[in-house]
Amino acid sequence: MFSQIIINSLISGAIYALLALGFNLIYNSTKFFNLSHGTVGVAGGYVVYGLAQLWGWNFYLSLLIGLLSAGALGWFLNYFVFSALRRQKASNMTMLVASLGLFTILQALITIIFSSQFQILNQSLPQIYSLANASITQIQIIIILVTLLVAGALLLLLKKTLFGKMVRALSDDEGVAKIVGLNTEKIIGWVFFIGSAIAGLAFIFQGLDSGLEPSLGLGLLLKGVIAAIIGGVGNVYGSFVGAFLLAFVENFGIWKIAAEWKDAIAFALLVIFLLFRPQGLMKR
Amino acid sequence: MNKTSKIVIALIAVLVIILGVVAARRAPRQSTVQTANAKEPVKIGFIGPLSGDAVNIGLNAKAAVGIAVDEVNQAGGINGRPLEVIYEDGQCSGQAASNAANKLMNVDKVSAILGGLCSSETMSFTAAANNAQQVVLSPCSSAPAITNAGDYIFRDYPSDSYAGKFAADYIYNTLGKKKTALLYVKSDWGEGIAKVFVDSYQKDGGQIVANEGYEQNSTDLRTQLTKIKAANPDMLYFVGYTEASIAGIKQAREIGLTVPMMGADAWDDATIWSKVGASGEGAMYAVIYAPMNDTFRAKMAAVVGNSEVTTCSPQAYDGLKILAQVMNQVGTDPTAIKNALYKVQYNNGVSGQSIAFDQNGDLVNASYVVKVVHNGQAVNKQ
Repeated sequence: MFSQIIINSLISGAIYALLALGFNLIYNSTKFFNLSHGTVGVAGGYVVYGLAQLWGWNFYLSLLIGLLSAGALGWFLNYFVFSALRRQKASNMTMLVASLGLFTILQALITIIFSSQFQILNQSLPQIYSLANASITQIQIIIILVTLLVAGALLLLLKKTLFGKMVRALSDDEGVAKIVGLNTEKIIGWVFFIGSAIAGLAFIFQGLDSGLEPSLGLGLLLKGVIAAIIGGVGNVYGSFVGAFLLAFVENFGIWKIAAEWKDAIAFALLVIFLLFRPQGLMKR
Repeated sequence: MNKTSKIVIALIAVLVIILGVVAARRAPRQSTVQTANAKEPVKIGFIGPLSGDAVNIGLNAKAAVGIAVDEVNQAGGINGRPLEVIYEDGQCSGQAASNAANKLMNVDKVSAILGGLCSSETMSFTAAANNAQQVVLSPCSSAPAITNAGDYIFRDYPSDSYAGKFAADYIYNTLGKKKTALLYVKSDWGEGIAKVFVDSYQKDGGQIVANEGYEQNSTDLRTQLTKIKAANPDMLYFVGYTEASIAGIKQAREIGLTVPMMGADAWDDATIWSKVGASGEGAMYAVIYAPMNDTFRAKMAAVVGNSEVTTCSPQAYDGLKILAQVMNQVGTDPTAIKNALYKVQYNNGVSGQSIAFDQNGDLVNASYVVKVVHNGQAVNKQ
């Protein structure tokens, strides 16, 4: 059972990590809590559902289109709503409320188009592997490996490429970045695209592993946010570590306590961190 | 507060008082207008999950009610007045159902409410309905607590004090499993059955090796299933609604939990078995035995588009017919309807041969049948 809990933690941790990475990336550049981030990802998951299951397209093609759609949707929301608000020098509170509004609209749209029923992205019985007295499916192994790859790729992007340097400059100080001549709006657009595509990946995995519902958008995002906060907002390594820490604490926590306390444990962990180490595990 | 604000507030207060007086004076006149007009439709409210969890069961029941209404109207309505049903979405949630009930009682002024389907729906408004002396007939809610919900509350669906006991006895005696793990949804329905199941199973002599609950909208039951697997049961009794059951059944097989599974009446929903595929092979569930007849089945197939008649649809059809039968005798006064319901004898129903209510408004008898899933289809277990 111990090993099964470890595997369960790795799977949850991977999905939280993807959400935390995307959220962190966007927060760093724009400094506001984007509550619609999760639902943009859910939309991507539903695009894959619609193409692969309802229309019968090739699965990998649908996957690619789903990722691109999530990214594009994030980009659009930024272009039409968030950047307009930023130009008006709106406060972070206003942007948060706007993102809450977008989240509600998106979730309602998804429900209207796809119904609020629980949908699974693949119907076949998964390949199950036995590992040290625990079971893991093929999809779950893929999820964990791909998450590691994505995190690694994101790190490389930020540290080694010119674009990454620009993003880091922007997150350091937007004003100075503008003065130095960076096209901050274009960079933020790309940041939204990449972040939202990663969120889309997270929900596609969620759909493949357990299933999709329109209402998943906020719940899972909040877990990602907790992961980002306890890992240290502003630090890519931090969100990654925070996500797995959160997942492990949740899953081991409910070993002895009744399982419905999982969410309570997650938020209790958040409160403890905010009280005693608000800067998170790793500093900027 | 400056002067302008005070004036505005005073004006609003005066406006509210005037509107209140007008509305109060209008009310008695409205009801006299209604009873004077013999062609005014008789209105019954329906509350059920028309979206969200258990939507398939809700829509199927709505179809059954629609068929019943057409038949009543073709036979002349209620003493010559057409029967009309107002459908409200309870979303299998207490909050939505409570709002729906308030609207039906206070805005639409229905003569009776047929609903809710989910126990959580029904239990959210029975107190208010009973206090307002409004008749409620639930065709699906099985939580034991509803037995004592009040004088005006009835149901033509058996209480889970039967269902939990039936499952416990079946697992212990017929299947011969002595160590069962319990996984249940934390809703009025799930907790009701779970409690009865645990009591009955232990009284039979069985051992509950694991007892795990989950929040109604969870779709990740892996942790509970991991703990259950570690407890080494030889049977799993899984009380859940559609969405969590789809996730749970798949996840159970994925983590290597291979013991047989049995569920409760909410598993009588074909969407579960079509979605879980091979993971659902051999799963069993106990459901109320409803005799039905070919005419009913044919009409349902014509409306729904397939041959599925989910649990509660026969009861919803009979429920509406019972209300119509009673209203034909005594009219639309709720207290008269209530008194007549306690004495009603309804025969040749599609959900039972003869239906009558005991002093608590519950059915006097119930019989269950066990179904098993093979290749995505549920069939009666031999």
